[in-house]
Amino acid sequence: MTDSKYFTTTKKGEIFELKAELNSDKKEKKKEAVKKVIASMTVGKDVSALFPDVVNCMQTDNLELKKLVYLYLMNYAKSQPDMAIMAVNTFVKDCEDPNPLIRALAVRTMGCIRVDKITEYLCEPLRKCLKDEDPYVRKTAAVCVAKLHDINAQLVEDQGFLDTLKDLISDSNPMVVANAVAALSEIAESHPSSNLLDLNPQSINKLLTALNECTEWGQIFILDCLANYMPKDDREAQSICERVTPRLSHANSAVVLSAVKVLMKFMEMLSKDLDYYGTLLKKLAPPLVTLLSAEPELQYVALRNINLIVQKRPEILKHEMKVFFVKYNDPIYVKLEKLDIMIRLASQANIAQVLAELKEYATEVDVDFVRKAVRAIGRCAIKVEQSAERCVSTLLDLIQTKVNYVVQEAIVVIKDIFRKYPNKYESVIATLCENLDSLDEPEARAAMIWIVGEYAERIDNADELLESFLEGFHDESTQVQLQLLTAIVKLFLKKPTETQELVQQVLSLATQDSDNPDLRDRGYIYWRLLSTDPVAAKEVVLAEKPLISEETDLIEPTLLDELICYIGTLASVYHKPPSAFVEGSRGVVHKSLPPRTGSSESAESPDAAPSAGQAAEQPAVIPAQGDLLGDLLNLDLGPPVSGPPLAASSVQMGAVDLLGGGLDSLLRSDVGGSPAMGGSGFTAPGPAAPAAMGAPLGSGLGDLFDLTGGVGTLSGSYVAPKTVWLPAMKAKGLEISGTFSRQVGSICMDLVLTNKALQVMSDFAIQFNRNSFGLAPAAPLQVHAPLAPNQSVEISLPLNTVGSVMKMDPLNNLQVAVKNNIDVFYFSTLYPLHILFVEDGKMERQMFLATWKDIPNENEAQFQIKDCSLNADAVSSKLQGSNIFTIAKRNVEGQDMLYQSLKLTNGIWVLAELRIQPSNPSFTDLELSLKCRAPEVSQYVYQAYDAILKN
Amino acid sequence: MISQLFILSSKGDRLVYRNFRGDGGDDVTDAFYRAVTSLPGDQAPVFMAREGQHFVHVRHGGLYVGATTTADTSPFVLVEFLNRLVTLLREHCGTLSEKSVSVNVALVQELLGEMVDFGYVQTTATEVLRSATHGEPETTKAFSLLDLRSVGLFGAETQQSRVAPGSVTNRPVLPPRGEQGGRREVFVDVVERLTVVIAANGTPLKVDVQGEIRLKSFVPGACELRMGLTEELSVGTEEQCGYGRLPLAAVAFHSSVDLEEFEQERVLRVTPGPGEVTLMRYQLAEDVAVPLPFRLLPSVEWEPAGRLRIHLKLRCDLPPKNHAINVVLQLPLPREASSLAQELSSPEQTAELQGGGRSLRWAIPRCQGGAQLGAVFRVQLPPTPPLGLGPAALTFELPALTVSGLRLRWLRLSAPPGAPPGPPQRWVRHLTHSDSYVVRL
Repeated sequence: MTDSKYFTTTKKGEIFELKAELNSDKKEKKKEAVKKVIASMTVGKDVSALFPDVVNCMQTDNLELKKLVYLYLMNYAKSQPDMAIMAVNTFVKDCEDPNPLIRALAVRTMGCIRVDKITEYLCEPLRKCLKDEDPYVRKTAAVCVAKLHDINAQLVEDQGFLDTLKDLISDSNPMVVANAVAALSEIAESHPSSNLLDLNPQSINKLLTALNECTEWGQIFILDCLANYMPKDDREAQSICERVTPRLSHANSAVVLSAVKVLMKFMEMLSKDLDYYGTLLKKLAPPLVTLLSAEPELQYVALRNINLIVQKRPEILKHEMKVFFVKYNDPIYVKLEKLDIMIRLASQANIAQVLAELKEYATEVDVDFVRKAVRAIGRCAIKVEQSAERCVSTLLDLIQTKVNYVVQEAIVVIKDIFRKYPNKYESVIATLCENLDSLDEPEARAAMIWIVGEYAERIDNADELLESFLEGFHDESTQVQLQLLTAIVKLFLKKPTETQELVQQVLSLATQDSDNPDLRDRGYIYWRLLSTDPVAAKEVVLAEKPLISEETDLIEPTLLDELICYIGTLASVYHKPPSAFVEGSRGVVHKSLPPRTGSSESAESPDAAPSAGQAAEQPAVIPAQGDLLGDLLNLDLGPPVSGPPLAASSVQMGAVDLLGGGLDSLLRSDVGGSPAMGGSGFTAPGPAAPAAMGAPLGSGLGDLFDLTGGVGTLSGSYVAPKTVWLPAMKAKGLEISGTFSRQVGSICMDLVLTNKALQVMSDFAIQFNRNSFGLAPAAPLQVHAPLAPNQSVEISLPLNTVGSVMKMDPLNNLQVAVKNNIDVFYFSTLYPLHILFVEDGKMERQMFLATWKDIPNENEAQFQIKDCSLNADAVSSKLQGSNIFTIAKRNVEGQDMLYQSLKLTNGIWVLAELRIQPSNPSFTDLELSLKCRAPEVSQYVYQAYDAILKN
Repeated sequence: MISQLFILSSKGDRLVYRNFRGDGGDDVTDAFYRAVTSLPGDQAPVFMAREGQHFVHVRHGGLYVGATTTADTSPFVLVEFLNRLVTLLREHCGTLSEKSVSVNVALVQELLGEMVDFGYVQTTATEVLRSATHGEPETTKAFSLLDLRSVGLFGAETQQSRVAPGSVTNRPVLPPRGEQGGRREVFVDVVERLTVVIAANGTPLKVDVQGEIRLKSFVPGACELRMGLTEELSVGTEEQCGYGRLPLAAVAFHSSVDLEEFEQERVLRVTPGPGEVTLMRYQLAEDVAVPLPFRLLPSVEWEPAGRLRIHLKLRCDLPPKNHAINVVLQLPLPREASSLAQELSSPEQTAELQGGGRSLRWAIPRCQGGAQLGAVFRVQLPPTPPLGLGPAALTFELPALTVSGLRLRWLRLSAPPGAPPGPPQRWVRHLTHSDSYVVRL
């Protein structure tokens, strides 16, 4: 007989041939023909055309042939129900056959034919078979009830088969018991409410007895059924445990695990103080360990389950670390699981051993595994604090190997270690930086960039490093782009003076040239944050980050408890509860562990602490400070204007220029509420003629500029006349007078330096002490030529508000140090607060109303502005020039009420109500009420009002 | 529960398919094959959830033996069952291959019908199946006495059996019906697997010995078998582990083993039907000093220009009358090596670079106990800073030896009444093979 005989293609001719053979008189030939048909059917060929001919062969006393025909029937009956009826008589007859094998075969097959008409005929034979004298027939019939229930549940109930099935639980034959249990368990699942299984101490006792005599597979059914039982008290739980424990040494791993499952569940009810509890715990470890010497597939399943058990009850396997050490010939999926469990079991006691292993793994050949091993070292460092130092040095050793993927993986985990132990291991940064060039994977690049940004102040060439990444910005992955953006913003906030250009570049790359919404949005958030309030930006971006939690990859305790109930089901392999992957009709009953009785402990497992601080990839996010966020959202921004910032950054500008008109106005220029765009790039103090300035730019900017500039606020806010700040006698002949101005969003300190000494002065420099609003020079003091005796020079020093903040008294006090080639001189001056009023300080009406109500009355301050004879409109426009915006005007009883808002550079809003009485010329005092969440500024706001209105 | 069961060839052709619960379409095998072939490398293949179905499979002899299942099923049941199925197919079809399965489709279907009903596993016991099935196996190759020369172990996945399976046991366990004559033989194998990690300074970090006693019977009908194990055996770590004792940390017996005489006499009694069964699995207690079969004394020198000179001395510490076969040493190299020069001590040894130059393979076909083999290798590596080598991994087989010292002292067979005269042939074999023998450098 050749093997290809069954496997020729079913051409039409062949079907005919088979037909002829099936109808042959010779039994042997018939059998061979049916075999051929089965062979064709098995490989998926359609031989349904032979249905009647095959069914004709059914009437035979050859059991082998009969089985084959039945197999054929099971397969095709559904597609040919009418023909299948032809077989019913034979089935019914076979159910009466003296040979139990044939009786069982008939019942088994009939249950598998899902044709209603046949099902009707099944009931009587099934009833008989359930009470058959032969256990083989009974066990088959028990399963058949489940089959019938699957087809027609109502029929099964009506016919009373369920009761018969229940009786079979007390059958003398353990295999019948096991099948009855299996069938009932399945039926019970579709009737969660019915008490089908009716487990009680008596029936449990019967099951436990059958357990000892059953085949291995039957034992599993019974054990799984036991796992659903809820013992009355801890004593009953213990007695069941005692009788289940011997199953732990069974050779069939499925039996072992089903037993483990029962024990794990019932252990919950035992008191931990009980001696028996400890004994039981000890007994659980060896069978779990033994599973690890089985076939790799079983090992894998075992490891997935052990992973859960270890998280729930680390004590069971805490001394078994060695069995989880990886063998070099394990399949990769087993290796990875073992690695995971090793980390979970790592503790101070065994960390040295674990680290030594991990280091060895990191030199293996399999790249995936090596990566995971390196990662594992990082997780050890985070988990076991005492080992962190050793882990870091191990990682450094690995970096020294220069093996590309090892280096990259090591850098990724070192980033995490930095986040767990900030300011502890920066000494390694230098080593990391050496490997910058070899990083080609996004995750490693992102990690490195994060490190550079985070420790920018300690890396001398941080700006160069980041700049080098910026060159290929658009070729980077999103992860790297986002990280680069954040890192450069951090760098800027830490070293503002040198990195202006860089931050501008990255902001424009992120917002204009990128299609990625995440990147763009983050870019805009930083941009606005920097432009509206650098101090807040600093607080936000450089905020202290929450430490990453010890085990971010720990399964959440509630989920873990649920999964423990599913030990030994697929859920334990996927590590997901069935609800997460089961589809369709099968009801998913949420399982939970039984409550512990007789135990003093209220809550179990303190080890399963909630995994707090799920640190996101990107640490720099806006903190949940309501007011700040509120302000951010209240910006009332129009759609982003994409023109000016790009144009501005492309204009050639010197450092001073950039600083002067540059950054602040640039940053501000996309704020839709402000018409002050286009002014960017100009340092000219005082009002500038827009048209004249527009022309030399020679770019599209001119047009834009014409459109938007030239009106309104370009005139700038009120500038007080210069006063002498530092008299010559105090400063060895240097006299400094000056004032403050605000031009299109940039603050300037306008200085006049006069040399009243007899020698030439040079090498000027200026520095501010920390002050209330973080005012700081945005550029060095530039005196281009040495200052000859009796000569004066006018300088406009651009300021920004990203310097260090310290509350001064009075609030607007500014201490300044000026140095020249002669000496260093100190003076202090008061700056008018209105230089800090930002251009987008106009609040929405509703917002104003809400905020006004929201601010408590005790924060309200009343002032009188004396001798001001201006009418309401004049007041309004005058104030608007200094960024105090009138939101509404009302006339009440002959008095004009102006409602105004302004915002300080640090995001503080001040709301004002100004009462003017134009009808009464003799009464020229204005009444000002200010409301602000920071009431201490009110006083200085009033001074600003007073100064502006009186000039 | 098992919904569908299938065996696919390595190319995804359906060899056997059975739908036990009447749900699910016929195209599961295609869905499975798509899923398994498109699986990313870092994901475990054993269980896969695809399109609302759960697949489980094991691979044997190039075939996919798989099943679909419902979510509440024990994964252990599935994997155990599939492994048993593979064993049973081997017993019934001789070998497990595309050819042997497709020739015996009818028999396989009949077996499946008895093994699983409505997705519930009913039995996997050979003797039960024997009484319930009627098909005859078709052998793909005539059994020849000449094959006896290369006696291999039937169960142990040793290097030898993987490469060239000893065919003595590769025949259906069941003699054709009506032929009482068949070869009546009983094989008992004591196979130990050795997992060793040796630190760079030569101290063993981990020595783990796992063993099992397997029985394969070709004797029709039941016959009682008694076997005496080494008397020094003691079970459980609490017991006194005096000198000369052989303490086992964990022991598991097959449910058919009668342990009545085990406590006192260390005698196992079993009445096996035809077929294969693992009688006992054991694990040697951790603190037992096991003589290690191999010592590796390496010396590594870096020569200028990235040349690495590796001098390996391999000492075989077995008793002189024993020997090791198929010894292979794998040494991972730190970088891709471009060339290899070698000096080996005997002509039958070979050495080569593998994995694109990432590792060095030194093969020694046979090594007598007490021998010391030396080898010098020079490899050309790309110039990089010096790095660690290794760890070296050894694989080998030690015929007629169990490292733990557990042996079968005797094996007695009492034939059932009515059996043909003359005792069946008995074969007792001992073997140790390396599961993972790692020497760190």
